[in-house]
Amino acid sequence: MWRLVSSGLALLLVAQSGAAHHSGAMFDSQKSLTLQGTVKLFQWTNPHCWIQLLVQAPAPAAEWSIEMGSTGNLYRNGWRSSTLTAGEKITVTLHPVRDGTAAGQFISATAADGSSLGRPSRTAPP
Amino acid sequence: MRWAAIVWLSAVLGASAAAAALNSSQRVRAFAALPDWTGLWQTEAARAFNSLSGKAAGNEYEAINRYVQLVGPAPYTEAWGKKLRADLATPAAAAGASNAKLCTYGFPIIMDVFQLFQAVVTPEETLFVFDDGEVRHIYTDGRRHPAKDDLWPTAMGDSVGHWQGDTLIVDTVARTAGSLGIGPNTLSAQAHFTERVRRLDKNDLEDQMTIEDPTAFTHPWKLTIHYTRAADLDRMLPWDCANDRNPVVNGKISVAPP
Repeated sequence: MWRLVSSGLALLLVAQSGAAHHSGAMFDSQKSLTLQGTVKLFQWTNPHCWIQLLVQAPAPAAEWSIEMGSTGNLYRNGWRSSTLTAGEKITVTLHPVRDGTAAGQFISATAADGSSLGRPSRTAPP
Repeated sequence: MRWAAIVWLSAVLGASAAAAALNSSQRVRAFAALPDWTGLWQTEAARAFNSLSGKAAGNEYEAINRYVQLVGPAPYTEAWGKKLRADLATPAAAAGASNAKLCTYGFPIIMDVFQLFQAVVTPEETLFVFDDGEVRHIYTDGRRHPAKDDLWPTAMGDSVGHWQGDTLIVDTVARTAGSLGIGPNTLSAQAHFTERVRRLDKNDLEDQMTIEDPTAFTHPWKLTIHYTRAADLDRMLPWDCANDRNPVVNGKISVAPP
């Protein structure tokens, strides 16, 4: 019997993941970045929800695109389309993309009063 | 009692095949004989990847290999394995793996990945309706697979089934040959699938899947896929790719502005 699993290619070809759609290889999961900013836009959409966050520091000021799970993922973890509104100040922790652009994969977020917004990602399965 | 009812149902449907519809009273009786699979069901992978990021805890690839059985080692023949290994070793294959995006899955991987589904059980067919819009039609009205000239390969294949007690026996052929979509595995056009789907208890469903591929496999590949009820949901939450902000730029998946 011939088994691919020993070739290492099994892992290589496992491309798509969780929210389905695409691999998380574009994000540097070894790095975490915490940003304070103002919500410009919250997209309650599929295949991913997105937070557009206006960030002043670190310089230069930039608009960050923060990728989240699907609407179903967010809904099942306590978020709603009304959870974030434009103008709201939040703090987001993310895995940045590897190419240095202002984008990343959501890990967790807190409101201005320090309260957590939903359950953080990368928790144990329910 | 249920056994007797299902035996009656099988006899009626089997005798009449697809040609004769049940009358109203027969149909009411037929419905009453069927098991109750109402609700939304999720795989182990869907549970593990249910987070705000849509990712599982820990390493992504390890999680997929842990929770999605169909990416695991298949019993390939030496010849098929060598060809597959060569195919996967090409630069194009490596690039395709890192750049691939999926909005639908096809059978059989749809039964083992991230999409929640609803099982709609009727006397004539059982439907697995997935949140990404994909649907499996499993005809249980006694019909056989279509004749050769009426059958062509599709992503879901062609499924017919029958009931053995509360277990749905499903036979699927004519799945489009090629990759399973996630992971390294591929199947030939001769792949033949048998499933035994049953509810274990109120919140657990099971699919015992056997894949036979006389071209690619040395022997049948047997898997048992476990589903749990998504008790936190009272309706299907659609999943689509309407706002795909991940274009492939210069050979890599990127992030586009809104």
